[in-house]
Amino acid sequence: MSETKVSRRTFLRYLLGTGALAAAGGVGVGLTQGAQAALARTDKPKARYALIIDTTKCVGCGACVRACNIRNHLPEGKSYVHIVQKGDAKHPWFMPVQCQHCADAPCARVCPTRATYHHESGVVLINEKLCVGCKYCEVACPYQARTFDEERGVVDKCWLCLDWVSEGKEPACVQSCVLGARIFGRLDDPTSEVAQLVASGKAKPLHPEFGTHPAVLHYIIEG
Amino acid sequence: MGQTAWGWLIAIYLFLGGLGAGSFLMAAFFELSGWRYRSKFCPVALVGATVSGPLVALGSLLLIFDLGAGRMQPWRILYMFTHFSSVMTWGIYILSIFIPLALVYGFLELMESEPWLKGFVAARLPWLLRNGRTYRRWVAAVGSVFAVATAVYTGVLISDVGPAIPLWSQPVLPFVRIPMLPILFFISAISTGMGLTFDISATIADPEIQRRFRIMDLSHILLIGLENIAIGLLFISALSSGGSAAESARIVLYGPLAVVFWVGVVLVGLAFPFVVHAYAIGRGQHSLASGVGSGVGIVIAGLLLRYMIVYAGIPAAL
Repeated sequence: MSETKVSRRTFLRYLLGTGALAAAGGVGVGLTQGAQAALARTDKPKARYALIIDTTKCVGCGACVRACNIRNHLPEGKSYVHIVQKGDAKHPWFMPVQCQHCADAPCARVCPTRATYHHESGVVLINEKLCVGCKYCEVACPYQARTFDEERGVVDKCWLCLDWVSEGKEPACVQSCVLGARIFGRLDDPTSEVAQLVASGKAKPLHPEFGTHPAVLHYIIEG
Repeated sequence: MGQTAWGWLIAIYLFLGGLGAGSFLMAAFFELSGWRYRSKFCPVALVGATVSGPLVALGSLLLIFDLGAGRMQPWRILYMFTHFSSVMTWGIYILSIFIPLALVYGFLELMESEPWLKGFVAARLPWLLRNGRTYRRWVAAVGSVFAVATAVYTGVLISDVGPAIPLWSQPVLPFVRIPMLPILFFISAISTGMGLTFDISATIADPEIQRRFRIMDLSHILLIGLENIAIGLLFISALSSGGSAAESARIVLYGPLAVVFWVGVVLVGLAFPFVVHAYAIGRGQHSLASGVGSGVGIVIAGLLLRYMIVYAGIPAAL
């Protein structure tokens, strides 16, 4: 009798142990699957594209803001692009700002869930399946490029219209710019216009003193 | 005013994290120094141990409530354990160790002073009651490490945003590249913890206790002095670095947050308690009203300090 009792207890113990292992395994698989859901993730980003904003041509018309709003089905008044007015009242000039796709992205560093990551093209993306909506990245972005989607409870931002770009087209903000203040192209092709503008130093990263090494966006600013 | 991503829920959380950690440290100090056993009943240890866990847990609940997708799909919170370059990941580890430890500590204190709980423990877990002091010492010692971590991390969390919010990442001194906020929040955690456990709770339980622990008045004077220096340096540094940091300092010193700062933080939380404690040192004891009053002032000011810092965080100019 006592033998069956012991073996039953041992059996129960094994059962419990297996259950705990399965639960831990389930959590582990869940976590890895979540992390894997973001494909083409890289730790060593190298920008494949460049988007150069020529502020000497921009008049602040807001076409890029609107195009981004429509392209990304954003609610009225919301956009991944915001236009900063510079200069004084007499001589204003305009600087459209959006995600700079930094190589040392603070948003990716502070994200507790690894939701923000570098795509192999150097573009900074958000895996919405991992985002908890803590808004730490929104606070930590010195370019104020991130917005919070109240409805889905996740943070979102410019993704360089990567689907269009990989088909060889241009992002919506670039297509919509009637003044040619936005120049888009491949940075890894040294003969392209953008690569030459960046190489010559005519187009520079915005606020390099932030130390985040903006990789995709560059600005042509007079003076 | 400042950044809009984080609001009063975060401010209250930062405050509760500090208050809970400070209360724990007070109780642990009384336990480890043996002061707790000077009298039969020690309100500081009892209140400090029992409130710290629930306070920090409540704060964490507010934090979860501030989440977007994580509130609707709470299992996503598990992902927050996975990224060690994020201070928030450290925080969630610290909280998940500190809160259970503090709750256990509260239980170990309650089982001594609550007759029904003592009866229950004596009947079911006699070994726990027999070695109560040993268990309390261990929990107090290990918990203190995590209490300090909790208090400091609340400051590291928001100062780690670096150039994005210049006020939050101001260094201690221009040549000391350590951020000021973790230090300021730690000082405030200790003084609010003292305010809650000693000035408020212990004074209500036994107004005579002030006579036996006159060191508390001196400690308060010291902490008020340190907090003064920390706040002073923070705003001098912010003003002199210009840009958004100076703008943050201006809205605190003579802008929309001036009332919160000058009345709430400086008058209620620093000047009034300073006068009360300096007077108490001379007189040798508090009245019930002055003891409790200064404690309430310090605790309220701790909340307003976090509120002020969160709302004064102006993003860097582009």
